This record gives sequence, C-alpha cells and structure tokens, in this order.
Amino acid sequence: MDIEKRKFFIYTVCSVIFALFVVRLAYLQLFNKEELAKESDKNAVKTITVTPPRGLMYDRNGNVLVDNKPSYTVTITPSQFDKNNLDEVAGILEIPPEELLENLKSFKGTNRFNPAKIKRDVDFKVISFIAENRDRLLGVDYQTDAIRYYPNNFRGSHTFGYASEISEKGLSKQIGDYYKQGDVVGSNGLESTYEPYLRGVKGYDFITVDVKGRELGSLNDGKNDIPPVNGSDLILGMDRDLQEYAEKLMGNSRGAIIAVDPRTGEILCFVSKPDFDLSSFAGKTDPKVFSALLNDPEKPLFNRVVQTKYPPGSTWKMLMSMAAMGEGILTPTSTVACNGSFTYGNRSFADHGAYGNINVTRAIEVSANVFYYKMGLAVGIDNYNKYGKLFGFGQKTGIDIPNETSGLLPSQQYFDKRYGENKWTQGLLVSLGIGQGELGVSPVQMVAYTAALAMNGLYCQPHFVTKIRSNSNGLEEEVKFEQRRIDMPQSYYDAVKKGMFLVVNGNGTAGNIKSSEFTLCGKTGTAQNSSGKNHSWFVGFAPFDDPKIAICVMGENEGWGSSFGAPVAGALMMRYLGGPGKTIDGDIKSVAGGQD
Amino acid sequence: MNKSIFERIDLLLLIITIAVIICGLLAIFSATYTSGADYFSKQLYFSVIGIILMIGISFVPPRIIARSSYIIYLLSIVLLVVVLIIGKKISGSRSWFSMGGFGIQPSEFAKIATILALANFLSQGEDAFRNVNRFPEFLKACAIVLIPVLLIMKQPDMGTSLVFLSMILPVLFWVGLSPYVLFIIITPVIAVLGAFFGINYLIGAIVLIGLIMLMFKKNAFVAAVVIVLNIAIGYSFDTLYHKLQPYQQKRITAVFDPSTDPLGSGYNVIQSKVAIGSGGLLGKGFLQGTQTQLKFIPEQWTDFIFCMIGEEFGFAGSILILTLYMIIIFKLVNNAYMTKNRFLSVACIGFASIVLFHLVINVGMTIGIMPVIGIPLPMMSYGLSSLLSFLVMMGIAMSAYRYRNQY
Repeated sequence: MDIEKRKFFIYTVCSVIFALFVVRLAYLQLFNKEELAKESDKNAVKTITVTPPRGLMYDRNGNVLVDNKPSYTVTITPSQFDKNNLDEVAGILEIPPEELLENLKSFKGTNRFNPAKIKRDVDFKVISFIAENRDRLLGVDYQTDAIRYYPNNFRGSHTFGYASEISEKGLSKQIGDYYKQGDVVGSNGLESTYEPYLRGVKGYDFITVDVKGRELGSLNDGKNDIPPVNGSDLILGMDRDLQEYAEKLMGNSRGAIIAVDPRTGEILCFVSKPDFDLSSFAGKTDPKVFSALLNDPEKPLFNRVVQTKYPPGSTWKMLMSMAAMGEGILTPTSTVACNGSFTYGNRSFADHGAYGNINVTRAIEVSANVFYYKMGLAVGIDNYNKYGKLFGFGQKTGIDIPNETSGLLPSQQYFDKRYGENKWTQGLLVSLGIGQGELGVSPVQMVAYTAALAMNGLYCQPHFVTKIRSNSNGLEEEVKFEQRRIDMPQSYYDAVKKGMFLVVNGNGTAGNIKSSEFTLCGKTGTAQNSSGKNHSWFVGFAPFDDPKIAICVMGENEGWGSSFGAPVAGALMMRYLGGPGKTIDGDIKSVAGGQD
Repeated sequence: MNKSIFERIDLLLLIITIAVIICGLLAIFSATYTSGADYFSKQLYFSVIGIILMIGISFVPPRIIARSSYIIYLLSIVLLVVVLIIGKKISGSRSWFSMGGFGIQPSEFAKIATILALANFLSQGEDAFRNVNRFPEFLKACAIVLIPVLLIMKQPDMGTSLVFLSMILPVLFWVGLSPYVLFIIITPVIAVLGAFFGINYLIGAIVLIGLIMLMFKKNAFVAAVVIVLNIAIGYSFDTLYHKLQPYQQKRITAVFDPSTDPLGSGYNVIQSKVAIGSGGLLGKGFLQGTQTQLKFIPEQWTDFIFCMIGEEFGFAGSILILTLYMIIIFKLVNNAYMTKNRFLSVACIGFASIVLFHLVINVGMTIGIMPVIGIPLPMMSYGLSSLLSFLVMMGIAMSAYRYRNQY
C-alpha cells in the first residue's frame, strides 16, 4: 500500500465520520426540531439571586457594633410583567412610571426571565398589598433582604461608613461584573475598605418555569443551586463603652478624638464631629438628606480624624526635642536659656514666661516657646523634615479607612517651590519649631506619634480591624498591620516622656487633669488660626510606666489645649483604665484650664 | 529566491485556525454572558499569545525540532511524574500545576512531546520510515506512547489517556503498518463493542472478524489464534468494565440510553441534545439560547461548548464548525503527504488524529452518540493549556508546509 493510497484511505475515513455527524445533526436540528424545541421551552429557568447578609462588626469585647435587620425589596420579572399595571405599580412604589419603564427596559436578553430588584427598604404595607394582589400583578414580587442596623447609643459614622445601593457610576466603573443593579456596596469607612469580606458571595437558586412563567419547582432538586457565601464578620479593637463616652464628651463641639492601644495600634475609639446618622443610609437614601449633608457648612461628611491638616501647636515639641537630641544639638540634660522672648532678624517672638536655663524635660513641662524657636533654627529644614517623616508625618499612616490625608510636612523643596529658591529665610523655622506655620497634621498621625513616644519608638500602624471571622467555617483570620521601630537612644525617650509626665503631674500646662489614681501623661497644644478662635490639641498616654492607651483630641476653635483637649483626653484615659463609670472628678468644663 | 508568501506560510491552515478560535471566543462569550465569569478575556488573551507562538514555531527548521524531541519527551515524562506528587487535585484527578492563578496541565504538553518523539523515532529508518511490521520496532513505537499513557491513567484522567492511544494506529498505518496487522489490532475493539450489547452481538462480532480474516487470505493459524483470543477478550470485558470508575460506567451506559439516568450522567446528554436540537436550521440567535444562557448545561464553556453553537447558530452554524475542522484535518494529512521531511510527516498525522479524536468524542457526546468523556473541543473550549498545545501543533504543521522540500 503506497502513501497515496494511505492518504486516500484516511480521507475516506474522515469523510465517513463527517457524513455521520451531518446526518445526526440533521436528525436533531431539522427533523426533531419541533419536539426538542418544545422540550427546551418547558425548560425555562428562573434564576433567583440570593444575596447573603453582610458580615457584622464587633468591638474588642464581642459587643455588636453594626448589625443587620430584615427589610423588603420589591422585584419585577420583566418577561412576566403586564405593562397595563405600570401606572398602578409605579404608584404604590412611588416611582415615576417613565422611570420604572426605563428601568425594566434595561433588562435585556435572557435576563428578562429573572426578577430584577426595583426598590429596596419598602414599607410593609406595600408588601402586603403586593402579596394580596399577586395574581393580578404578574411578575411583581418581593424578597427579604438584610439592611444595616446600629444597636448602640453612638454613631461611629466615619468609622463604619455605610452600605447602600450601588450607583450607576459604581456599576460601570467596577472591575469585573459582580455587582448588578440594585446590589448593595459599602461606601466609606470600614464598609468600603472591607467590602470584599463583608459582602460575601451571592448565590443562585434555579427554579424551573413553564413558557408562561409559572413556577414548576426547584430545578434538578436544587442540585444546581449555588449557595451564597455569607459575609465575614469584622472584629474591631474598638471599645464600645469608650466610644460612647467619647462621642458624649465631644457633644456639639467640632473636632476629633482618636485613641489607640500603643502596643498594637488598635483603635479604641474614633470620633469626628459633627457627624451624621448612618441609619439614614441603610435602606434607600433620600437624595435630599444626602445633599443636605453635603452642603452643610459644618461639613459633617468630612472625617476630621484622618482628613484635617492643622498645625499641631505645642504638641509638636516632643518631636523637636527628639530631633534636637538625635542631631546632637541637645543632650537629655543640657540646658538652653529661655528669657521670655526671642528675636530673629528684626522680629520678636513671644513666650508665656521666662524660665531661665532649662533642659528638654522642663521645656516640655512648661511648653517653653523660646526653647523651641531656637531648636527650630538649630535643627534646620532638612532634619525637620527627616524627623517628621520618622515619626509618621507627611505621609499616610495607612489606617484601614479611605480618604486619609498625608498632611503637610515642609521641606527645602516645598519652600523653594512655594516661595522660589532663596526667596525664603530660615526665619520660617522659628514658628515651625513650636508647631505653627506651614505644617499640617491629622489627629491619626498625632496619635500614632504619641503612641510611638510612649512605647519608646515602637511605631504601629493605627487600625480598626483585628480579626476577620468567616461565617462559613467560623475561622478567625488575624489582620496584619505594620509595626516599625524608631531607633533612638532610650535616654531621649525618657527625657521626653518625663516632660509629658510633668505636664500633668508637675507644674505643667495640664495640671488640671491630674489624677491620684492613674499616671496620665500628655502635652497640650494650641494651633493658631487666622480665621477664628484657636484649635485646641491634646496628645497623651497612660499609665506612665506601662502605657495601655494613647490618645489625641482636637477641638476646632475650642481655644487653649488645656481648656478642651486635656480634660476630654483625661476623662477618656481615666474611663478606659478604670472601666465604665470612671472619669475625672467634676465635669469637663469645670476642669478646663487656660494654658497653651 | 523570490518565493511568494503563499509558499512560505501555510495561509489556509492559519486562516482556518484563526476562524475556529474566533468561533470559540464567540461561543465562550455567549456561554458566560449571564454568569458573568470572566473566561472570555482570559481566552482572548491566550489566543493572541497562542497565535503569535504558532506563527513563530512555523519558522523553526524541522531539524531543530527533531533533534530536541527526545529531550522534550523526557522532560514531559518528568513533569507527569512530578504532577502526580505535587499536582493540584481538581474534580478527582491530579493533573494540574497551579501557577499564579492559572492551572497548567502537563499532559497537554506531553501530548506534543509524545508525538514528536514518536515521529523522530519512526523517521529514523534508512531512507525510509522504520519498518513497524517488524515486531521489535512496533513494540518500541508503542512504548513511546504507553509510558505517558500509564502516568496519565494514574492521575487518573481517562479522557486524555484515550487521546494518546488514539494516535498510535493512524501514525503506524501512515508509516507502513500493513492493513492486515492493523485489522488484527482493532479486532478486540470490535469484540468488546459486541460484548457490551450482549452475547448475541458478541457472537456476531466474532463471526464478522472471522470473515474479514478470511478475506485477507493469510495464515489460517494466525486467524484461528486471533478468533480464540477475541472470544476470551469479549468474555473478560465484563471484568474490565468493572474496573472503570463508576461514573465512567454510568456515562457509557447512559450514552446508549440517556433516559436511564436523566438527572445523573444522562442529564448533560439530554440537555445538550435538547439545546442543539432546539436550534433548528438557523439557531435562536447570538446570546438568545435559552438552554445555554439559563445554565442547563453546567460549565458549557468547556466541554459542552458545541451546544452553544448548535443552539444559537443552528444546523448551519454546526455544519460550518464541522467543516472548518474537516479542512484542518484534511490540511494536516495533506501536509504530511506533501512534505519530504519524514519527521514532520509523521508529526502531522499525529496531530490530525488527535484533532479528529477530540472532535469525534467531543461533538459526538454533545449530540448523544459518544460517551461523555471530558475532553475539549480543539481551540474552541475554554482551557488555556489545551488551546496553547493545539496552537503549537498547528505551528509545527505549518512548518511542515514551509519546509516541505527539505529532507
């Protein structure tokens, strides 16, 4: 058999196979078509999307912070919907008929067999009406969904964020196509950062329906159903009692509070005021409510803990001390003359008093300005920037909620760009030395810096979530955040911390919050404000020997650091260390001091 | 020399291959349209890489491929061993490496390697192919294929093992195995098929074998031995049958009567027949197939992709696809015939038989005339390893065309 014949033989075999397949296909598609098409029509399947409940959020002691409650969502299956009912259905749902029609038209192809979510968080009266008129209102139905519920006496608006129906923009901008119209997505706060964990994964139930859309039962006994994966729970480092107390203390003031466990960076409480009621975002969001929040001059949507950029005032003095010692300008014991004022060029800079020759510890205790005017100049812009960065300024801390600012940490380049090369003088460093001028920090940066001082250089990324707990297998996964060491001699930290101890317990600026029970430490600050009353700052930690809490309080236009920041921070530190019910003696106003 | 592009590049094979890939992409797009799984863009991405790879390979001189074929073969055997040890288990068989989000199937790689090694071995006769009618040569050729087959059966992946086995006879036939020997080899298949349907069919099959043996007018003793052996094989089929995985047994019985198991192994076959049948002459239209869009057929973007074509593009679309494949197969055989390079000639026949086997089994199962064995439709089913491996084969076949005048 030569190769020619072999080729011919193979061609023949292939041709026979081809012919067999053509015959079989013709049999199925041309002669059996009617029967098989009927079979196929019988087979229409409705896909019911099963949205799992979002994961919950718990505080460090297992208390629920963010919960779910049931709500009703009205759905319409476009293929079954009778257009004659359009006006009536639009009426009971309070949607303009044109909008409803437009909405239904967007479900093309085979999606028209599946129920589409039309309106969330519908009143129970509407649901009972739909249930009663089911036979007449073909294709109109409802599903039970879970919406957010906040069971506590505080808001945590900026922490939790909200979960609301995905916008058209959100739909078109998503990566992949998980989200469909009517789905809920986390926006802002932890709801946004941890969206993939909280939301779980949607499931699908398949129900066979006949050509007319009558349900015949579960397809294949539910074997094809894809069960949803429930959202995972977040376990936060937050302390419910402390959070509630912090929001209460803040009252109607504008400002921010953040406290962390300095050993880990876990956030214990987080307040940004004014805030807003998250439950108004849980179901359908009234556009009027949203635009009112957006246009409020007090800016309640603005997260003052992570988005503000104010000068830190005297709370910056520990950083200057570390920089000066780090660069060998000072030792922990060397002294600087502070004679009540300081002249640079032809300008005179004032101080609260004349303290004589004082060391760094004493300078912090009394918040000596002259000391730090001099240090600002001696350290110079490059080292100013270097130590600022070292303690986390001018960059994001990486807190696990969105929209954090880097703040403003000036550098040679910054001033060159702003004023032009050689068009600015070192005189800018005089004010910068006491934390005023072109320097912008956020409370979250301040608390991380304070915690790092308290921990002798252990800098922890501040974060809310400590663990993520799966609701399918109950396993808890720890969430890792960065920690780094700011390597400087222990004696420097000791000198600075001693100063912070004396601020409260010596003859310092926050003697008004001294406690016999706990060794509170801290530093007041008053940020000059060209357009109003000064901003009040306080950073602190406690107890002195074994820090368990570090805190930063900022009150907008609240004046002196010791008049608002210190009493609020003191009360909160006492509360956290002493447990519920514990606080400083007297009310906040009565202990308000009047010092920088 | 001023050769035109038509003489240097196998344009027909290139164009038809790309056409098949495009049809496959459309089908995957449609199959995943409602589920939203992102298989389309992955397949698209790998199609582009694969086509570039294919064209690149078509420029590699045959001598280089032939020389490295044994090394490639050894490497693929090593990979098959390694995957048994550290591979990822997916639906019961250990045949995947997981690499950065993509699964890699070494058996796909071994497919090409085995064909090349076999081609290299068979092309090394003096001035001709090796004489496979001589028993030692025949045995060696079979061994080259059987080593990977044994490893793949160990995974266990019955479908892919069958693919490997399917290439032996066409290739041996091409290099000169006598039709008589060829027939003797396939007699057990006839006997087993008969045995499957019962004793009467087995007797019929044995009689048929006897008659054909007589027609060859060769040694009567050999004929007698073959017949006795086949009776034995037919009887022991039962034992062999029970050695199959239970799900495979069920699938085989359900082929002949899917209604015996309408919700189990017969389910897919019934549903895919309904899908294809309801397509009619011109189909329901792109993205309009109710069977496929409504997920009656699970994972239809892989092994049941032909349902999409049948349902949405009807008889016309199905015939078009079959025709494209037939052109590819005929073209491969023709390249094997016209090239003077014996190595590439054998390789092309190997590729042709693999494409044919995949086509027959895959399309055959969707139209209910073959058992449900999970092997993909070449270059159309979603699957990156399979796609790339077929495109490499096409690239080598194109080089057979380009270097057709080189010995």
